[in-house]
Formats: sequence, structure tokens, C-alpha cells
Amino acid sequence: MVYEQLMGNLIQGLILGGIYGMATMGLSLIFGTLKVVNVGHGQFIMVGAFITLWMFNALGIDPVVAIPVAFLVGILLGFICYYTFVRRLRKGPAFASLLATFSVGIILEETVRLIFGSEFRGYNWTLGKVRIPFTVIPYTKLIAFSGSILIAVLLYLWFKKSRAGTALRSVVEDSLGAQVCGVNVDWQYALSFSLGIGLTVASGALLTMFIPVGINPNMGGQYTLKAFVIAVLGGLASPYGAFFGGLVFGLIENGSYTLLALLPDVEPFALTRFLSFVILLAILLIRPTGLIRTK
Amino acid sequence: MEKLKFVKVLCLVALAGLLSVPSVSAEVPAQILIGEPATITGTHAKAGEQSTSGVQAIIDWVNNTYGGVKLGGKRVPLKYIKYDCESKKEAVTSLLERLITVDKVNFTLAPYSSGLTLAGAPVAEKYRMIYMDHGGASNTIFKQGFRYIVQTIGPATHYHRGTLNLIKRTDPTAKKIALVYEDDEFARDVMAGAEEYARKLGFDIVFKRTYPKGVMDLTPLLSAMNAAKPDFVIGGGHFQDGQLFTRQLADLDINPKALSLIASVTLPAFYQALTYNAEGVMGPSHWEYGVKFSKESAKKARMAWTGPSQDEFVALFKKAVGKDLLPDYHAAEAGASILALVEGIEKANSLDPDKVRKALGEISFMSFYGGWKIDATGLQVGHDMVDVQWQNGKRVIVGPENARTGKFVYPMPTFAEKAKGVKAVPKK
Repeated sequence: MVYEQLMGNLIQGLILGGIYGMATMGLSLIFGTLKVVNVGHGQFIMVGAFITLWMFNALGIDPVVAIPVAFLVGILLGFICYYTFVRRLRKGPAFASLLATFSVGIILEETVRLIFGSEFRGYNWTLGKVRIPFTVIPYTKLIAFSGSILIAVLLYLWFKKSRAGTALRSVVEDSLGAQVCGVNVDWQYALSFSLGIGLTVASGALLTMFIPVGINPNMGGQYTLKAFVIAVLGGLASPYGAFFGGLVFGLIENGSYTLLALLPDVEPFALTRFLSFVILLAILLIRPTGLIRTK
Repeated sequence: MEKLKFVKVLCLVALAGLLSVPSVSAEVPAQILIGEPATITGTHAKAGEQSTSGVQAIIDWVNNTYGGVKLGGKRVPLKYIKYDCESKKEAVTSLLERLITVDKVNFTLAPYSSGLTLAGAPVAEKYRMIYMDHGGASNTIFKQGFRYIVQTIGPATHYHRGTLNLIKRTDPTAKKIALVYEDDEFARDVMAGAEEYARKLGFDIVFKRTYPKGVMDLTPLLSAMNAAKPDFVIGGGHFQDGQLFTRQLADLDINPKALSLIASVTLPAFYQALTYNAEGVMGPSHWEYGVKFSKESAKKARMAWTGPSQDEFVALFKKAVGKDLLPDYHAAEAGASILALVEGIEKANSLDPDKVRKALGEISFMSFYGGWKIDATGLQVGHDMVDVQWQNGKRVIVGPENARTGKFVYPMPTFAEKAKGVKAVPKK
């Protein structure tokens, strides 16, 4: 029985982890290129969740369609943020950009509250379920998981194979050298920031496909915290590391529940959170660059 | 010299006389100020919208229909001052201080939720300020020795009594019960009360677990619960987790015969978010539109009646909230706490917190909200809860027997049946 539960939880954890990973890639991309810590990360996820909710409930459009829409909205928001404050604050003290992104998060929260109110909302998009050994998985979750992997692969290919991706990598490695070679560094920073926000907002759409309820303007905070843990786990400056970190985090969070439940007189859920942060601390001490080593 | 001494003595006697004669009219202010660090935004914003509008509705009734609070032979209107605590404990304490020391309010209301109520209670104690608790059900609050807190919402330990009675009466063969609650002050008290009462009724607790606040995935816990094969599940915490709980039960195709969740089920947002998955899900409520508490039922119960009728309250609530929204129990209990305060002030004929607190301990009454009576610690002991169940998209009161507006649907349809369009409708 314990084995069955453990396997079931690991499968569910892997799916959730894939979405966690996708939700953290934007954070890592922005930090990796601009060295800006986006404290308003979770609020951008919340924007993606509300775009999906609104498109489904008001327009009857499937959440799958909401993913590219959320991505484009995120790109637009990213450019606006970059050219209004990130560009000016990027070279300033880290604290300035930290406070600025925190402020943007609050502004987003209050704007969404103004438009949608404070209710806990949700939508019900169901396509049936697949019963596999150990557990049951709704197709919507599988689509969200597949979408996360697809986006991660596309991002990898874009970085490694495309000209624009190569230019961006050159800026990350040596911005002065890239500038000498004719790369428009400022544009690359703008592109990188927008892409990071685009990925984050799109991940909000994917997250609602896993958890389509409890959508509210305050939901971002919990994702910010989790994203930082995952980013550190995978390597703060590496988007692929973040994706890998998400998978590991999902497996730890869900898998450990079954094992911790075997301990007498403990509440396993509280301990899973404890365990996650112990692992975070251990990684910071032993391998501060994260599980995936970046060159 | 003698004449001067005589005048001095006369003045002293007159002054002493002025001080010793109880003169309420001299103290009567132009208005009675009630302050609240309300949950206008943040996690409890929805309950905050309901409760602040419920307070405003009753203040409207007191000022415009009732004619003001009877105090020192005059009629004094109430004024409500509220600040947004953003559902944060640290804001509750500072805003309470501000209300008491800057705005000089006469009485305070606690914000929604047990945690926030408990956070503000020491501040109210420090200033000897009456602190009307309308949304903090945790019994823990009343075990701290606070003297100025007065509860209107029913105590947490009684939440699931009606549910357990209803299930026992409907299905005597159902024995195995799972208790799954959020890990916070309020829900832990509800769970302790439910466990004690369930054992008393002869149920077996086959699974008992909590989950942390802000949980994002309940899958591991629900899978473990399913392995224990409970007949029915009771639990919950607040709003977000209640929706998540039901949705993930549906995702995992776990089908208890009954599912009763605290707090979230009583809000329309629960059905809006879950649609057909919410069919048959039930929950305890302090009050529900449709419950018939009236002057006649008060007379029958030999209790004093006060306040507007249910329909009057609904109309005043809609005016206060500014939209066509029905009040839920958060609004009703907040409104009823104002009625209790008015009764207390009138009985004490004073605004002195000690006198009003003493009077509140002596009164009992019935209003649109139901019975109201507190014990020596300020804990509500005069109010009974109702059980509501989502049936065909509507909340129906299914218990207790003398309050119900419809039959209890048991077992609730499975999630697969619900997905095919089966509604929780009583068999004829």
C-alpha cells in the first residue's frame, strides 16, 4: 500500500514539478542575464492565471489557447517594465531593482483586484481522466505538463540554435565583448527581460490547468517563495536548471509525504515544507551554484 | 474670613455632589463610534466585504429605523470607522491602536478569522476596550483570560455537530470518518470538536490529518485518505483550500458518500469555481438566507426579539454593499454583533466598557441571525448552526430538522456522475 501511494505521489509530483519548473524559468532567465531579482515574479504568474480564467469564463476559450495569449501579454508587460524602470535601475544597487519589482508586483495585484475583485475564482475545464497504475491523472494536467516540457525545449533550441539566442548568450557571457562584436546589448537585455516575463505569465496559464481553483489577486506570493527555492535548487542563473529544479522539487514535495506519514505522531504535510527548506539550505552550503552547473 | 471658608466648603460640597451623582446625559456623545480593522483586502477580503456590509446594514437599521441607541434618555446614532488590515496580523494590532487612541472609538469589532481576532485581543485588553468578535470561532481565543472580548459567531468546536447528527440519522451504517483540516487556530478547534463529538456518536476516525495554510497541492494527502476508505469526509479551513479540496477529490476520482467542508462551501464563489463538482458538497453555516428566525419564533422560544427581519436585513445589506448580492453568514454574524452591542449599551445605560461588558453577559435575545447568549468568558453559547448542501446549483438548508428548506441528498453523486450531468437532487 505504501509503495503504491509513493509511486502515485511521485507521478503526481513529477507533473506538478514540470509546471513548477516552467514557472521558475522566467525568474532564472532574468537573473541570469540582467542580475535583477524579480520579487514580483508570483504576481506575473497571477496575471497569467487571470488571463486564462477570463478567457475561459467570459469568452469560452480553452486554456490551451490562453497560453500563447498569456505569453504575448507577458512579453508586452516585460518591454514596458524594462523601458520604464529596469533599464535605469539595472546598473544601480541591487536593492533598487528589488524594490522596483516588488512595487510592480503590488501594482499588478491591486490592478487585478480592481478589475476582478478579491473572490477566490476558478474554472472547470475537463477532458476526462486517464487511469494509470498507482493513480488517476486528468488530461488537463497532462496537457499542462506536456506544454511545460515543450516550452522548455523550445527555449533551449532558441538559445542554442537561433541567431538571437546566440547573441543573448554572448551578452550573458561578456557584454562588453558582445558590444564590440556589434551586438545591441540593450536590446538583448530588453528581449531577455520580456522573454522572462512572457514565460512567467504563460506559466500562470499552465498552473491553472493543474489547479484551476483558488485563483485570486493574492495568489502570487506563494509562487514567488516556491520559485526562489526551485531557482536556487536548479541554479539561480540557469533557466534549464530551474526546470530541472522544479521537477526535483515536485518529486521531493509529493514523494516525501508518503514516507514522512510513516513516522508516528507527525503531520507529514508540515514536514514536507520543512524538508524542502532543509534541502535548499544544504544546497546553498554544499553547491551554491545549484544542481545544474552553468558554464 | 469665616464667610470665605463657608464659600469654599460650599464649592467643595457642590463639586463632590456633581461627581457623585450618576449623570449619563452628561456623558452622552453626539454619536457612538465603532471601529474595526477590517479584512477589506488580502486572504479574507471576501468575508471582509460581507462582514463590513453586514455591520453597515445594521447600523443603518439602528440609526434610521430603530431611531438610535437609547442612552441617558437620548437616542444616539452609531458611526462605523473601518480600516483595511489587509488580512494581516501585524496590521490588526497597529490599526486597533489607531482606532482607540487617535479616532477615540467607543467600541471595537474584531476582524474576520480566528487568527486575526486573536492577534487584536491583547490590544483591546490593554485599553479595556469591548472587542466584539464576529468572525473568530476558535475556542482558543476564550481560553486566554481576556475580559473584553465578546463572541457572536458560534464556537469552532460545535461546527460539525449538526453534520454528524444528520449523517448518523440518515445512514446508521456509515461508521468510518476522515477528518482533514487546515492547520490553523480555527480549523484545529473545529477538528477537535468534531473528533470528540464523532467518537461520542460512535463513529470510527479512520484518517485524521491537517494540511498547511496556502497549500497548493493536496494530492498526496487525499491519496492517503482514500487508502483508509472513509464513508464520509469532514474538514476544510477557509476558502481557497475548500475549492482545492473538492477539485482534487474530483481529479483523483475519490468519492465519499458525504463531504462537509467549513467556510468555503457557504459562498457562491464555491459553486462558481467548481460548477457541477460542487453538487452535493455540504458545510456548516452560522446563518443562511431562508432560515426563519422571527418575532414569532422568538416568542415561541421565550426570548426577546431585536433587530430587523431577515428580508429587511437583506435589503439593507444590498444597499450597503452596493450590488445585488445576498448576505451570507459572515454578514449576518457581523450585523448581529452590532445588535448585541446595542442591547448591551442600552441595558448598561452607559458607554463604560466594564458596565457594557457586564450587561452583555446578562442579556440573551433572538434576531434574524438566531439566538444570542454568551458565557462568563465571552464565548457564544446561544447560537445553533445550520447545515447547507449544494443542490442543483443552489444552497439548500438540510439540517437541523426545524430549520431545513430541503431534504439531505445522501450519498452525494460520484464525481463521474456529476460530470455526466447528474445533480444532487433529493429522490421523490
